[in-house]
Amino acid sequence: MAAAKPEPAFLTTARDRQREMVEQYYSDLASAGGPKRPVAYMLVGGNLTEIVRSFGFEVVFPEIVALNCAIKHVSLPNILHAESQGYGLDVCGYVKNDLGLQELGGQTPFGRIPPPDLLVCSFSGCYVYVKWWEALAEKYGCPLFMLDVPYMRDAEPQAEDIQYLVTQLNEFIALLEKITGRSFDLAELRKTLARSRKAEQGWVDYLASGKHRPSPIEAYFEAVFYMFPINVLRGTDVAADFYATVNEEVRARIAEGHYPVPEEKFRLVVEGVPPYPSYRTFWDFFRKWGAVSVAATYPKVGGLFDRGFLHDPARPLESIAEYSLGAYVNQSWPLRRQIIGEYIRDFEADAVLIHGIKSCRSFTAGQGDLRDRLIHDHGIPTLYIESDHEDPRYFAPAQIKNRMDAFFESLDRRRGSVPLPVVNA
Amino acid sequence: MAASPALESSASLDSPPSLELSDSFEEFRRAASIDAITRLAREVLLDPTYPTVRAWTRAGRGAVGCFPVYTPQELIHSMGLLPVSLHGGGESVEISHADAPLGSFLCSISKSTLELAMTGLMAPFRAFVFPYICDVSRNLEGIFSRAVPNATTHMLHLPQNFQSKASVPFLVAEYRRLIAKLEKAGGEPYRPERLVESIELFNRQRAEIAQLTATQRAEPGKLTLTESYLIRRLGGLLPREVHLELLGRVRKELGARPNRRKDAIRVLLVGSFCEQPTLDLIDLIEQVGCYVVDDELLQLHRWYDRVEPSGDPLENLAATYVRSPVDIGVRAAPTTKAAAIRQRVDAADAQGVIFLTAKFCEPALEDVVLYRKALDERKIPYLHLEFEERSAAYEQSRLQLETFVESILFD
Repeated sequence: MAAAKPEPAFLTTARDRQREMVEQYYSDLASAGGPKRPVAYMLVGGNLTEIVRSFGFEVVFPEIVALNCAIKHVSLPNILHAESQGYGLDVCGYVKNDLGLQELGGQTPFGRIPPPDLLVCSFSGCYVYVKWWEALAEKYGCPLFMLDVPYMRDAEPQAEDIQYLVTQLNEFIALLEKITGRSFDLAELRKTLARSRKAEQGWVDYLASGKHRPSPIEAYFEAVFYMFPINVLRGTDVAADFYATVNEEVRARIAEGHYPVPEEKFRLVVEGVPPYPSYRTFWDFFRKWGAVSVAATYPKVGGLFDRGFLHDPARPLESIAEYSLGAYVNQSWPLRRQIIGEYIRDFEADAVLIHGIKSCRSFTAGQGDLRDRLIHDHGIPTLYIESDHEDPRYFAPAQIKNRMDAFFESLDRRRGSVPLPVVNA
Repeated sequence: MAASPALESSASLDSPPSLELSDSFEEFRRAASIDAITRLAREVLLDPTYPTVRAWTRAGRGAVGCFPVYTPQELIHSMGLLPVSLHGGGESVEISHADAPLGSFLCSISKSTLELAMTGLMAPFRAFVFPYICDVSRNLEGIFSRAVPNATTHMLHLPQNFQSKASVPFLVAEYRRLIAKLEKAGGEPYRPERLVESIELFNRQRAEIAQLTATQRAEPGKLTLTESYLIRRLGGLLPREVHLELLGRVRKELGARPNRRKDAIRVLLVGSFCEQPTLDLIDLIEQVGCYVVDDELLQLHRWYDRVEPSGDPLENLAATYVRSPVDIGVRAAPTTKAAAIRQRVDAADAQGVIFLTAKFCEPALEDVVLYRKALDERKIPYLHLEFEERSAAYEQSRLQLETFVESILFD
């Protein structure tokens, strides 16, 4: 009798803990507004959650709400409603989900999203952020603060960029003091940043474990799941403690030999936003071939913690400034290519899979060039496929599966004959 | 005329170039009438090999390509370089190389600009500046560095926070980064006194263009939108000294031209601030009975009236941009979009608004929703048309425009 095929391992304690945190978060939001706590809307890239929370705001991240809607298959009605209001087919799916949802009253399967009292636009790597927040400001008439984050063109932050950001942060704090009538508490911010730092270090340790062979983590599909605390709850005690639970389970996976892809065959670097409406289906296309992502760029949209940055309580505003520069899509293409090249090298990847998003130009414009460079300049097998992060109408499962099957099949054949190169792209 | 080596290697050009200009641009200096100027302008625009740049660089001078919508061209000029406004490939460039690196669902201007680079037609340029006006423009810079490896590329971060006291110092620092790149690209060393001279020259050019557009608004029967557009478009392609002379002749001729009124409606043209519609489409808008009394075409010369030349010219240049009242899709609104569109309609005494947006231009498309809502509330009629650079069939657009005009005329 043939031996039983090993089952994929999932984190259990961490998953349950995260579920509790998510439920608690949305439950708190549903009761926010009104007399309880004011609500600030914020974007994931370059967000100022530590400062805003220190003034007693609840924080809503409409991008996270949008992806949660998509993964629960309820994004399409919101998108269609936004289209009925005039937003075209070519507009970002996150924007349409959110603006449609707002017009429909904010009710989601995971709770009601309260309207904003304050809009904080951290313009970090995505121009659509500006347009989105303008539309929300127009609808709600509440204050909009624009944190203009310079685009990263050098490997290290430049002094003039930090100075520009710190000045804006001080202006933001003055605005918060005016709105809330509360004084800024620097000591409290330092404590919050210390909790952020602890969470960030735990997150970095988790991501680094993808270097093991076989990988004890799935650095795209699984990591995306565990991004919630690092992006949404950063600075809180629960987020600070959470990654210890995660990493304990990851260590147990290694000790017990239980892996998310039990028979690891291909180690991938994945670039791009996931197709949230077909998340599970897309993941299955990988698992079928024993393909595991060992590193991915998308989990870094909230910050490149794995590349040496952690919030520093000793330099509170300066380190928040540095953080806001570090959103993945705020990096120039030469920097993005360098990051991907180092992932290929450091995580000993066999290939790169790029998932382009039809309505996200920030991430996607230039991914074809990346593919071309990886293949022709560096000999890295690379597949580019395209759908959408929010809109289920653009996910063509048969076509995507065919292309992925053909790609993995050719990788399989190639592995038998030619050693795969590992170079810095 | 012999084709350049770059052209011979090009597979995507519909027709070979035909325009060979003299190094001193005598053709434009001799063009005595608006008719002659606009005829020449059409030839320049329909030739994707950048005839003005080829003429300029033939004598060893450098040119810098500036992607829309704003670059401090005064600064580039002061360093002895010709700032050239890039507006894509227009109607004559077929995309056969640029689709793959850029991906689908992107605007024509990004693709045709990259196509021109990948087929060697941008070889005469020494440098390219891509301002951060949208994610595509920003990303294009990183792609260009491979397509044109011998040229310098720079992504210019224009501030989006117009309230901060740090915005002007930051923009000055940004300009210093640009200066460093341009000096490496063969520009003369930056000298404040040269920048003052350039600012004064550009101030005169802006004043002439302001007068041209004021005439278009107050006496729309004096010159057509197409004429105004072609004259303005040359302002980003010719040496500014040559353009300024030409504008003087235009002003003189307009002074003597009759204001031939026709039965037309006064409209605002909104949304074409980056990618430009074809000349046929611009013509069509007037043919069906519209006087375009305000537009967003070619913002280049209209960000501000003038820059103060005295004092620190670099700081003045930065401060003037930051304080510009221009409110278009790629500049965070200092006020609400609703207030902005209503104010513009009132100021131009417009009877309706035509939204003419490039396909896949997300900033323009998102604004249109807010504008439409504001116009609905005031019962101001509008029409939304989308275009691409290589749009050829306008029957549908003609029908929509005619219906729009008639609905206002016979209301």
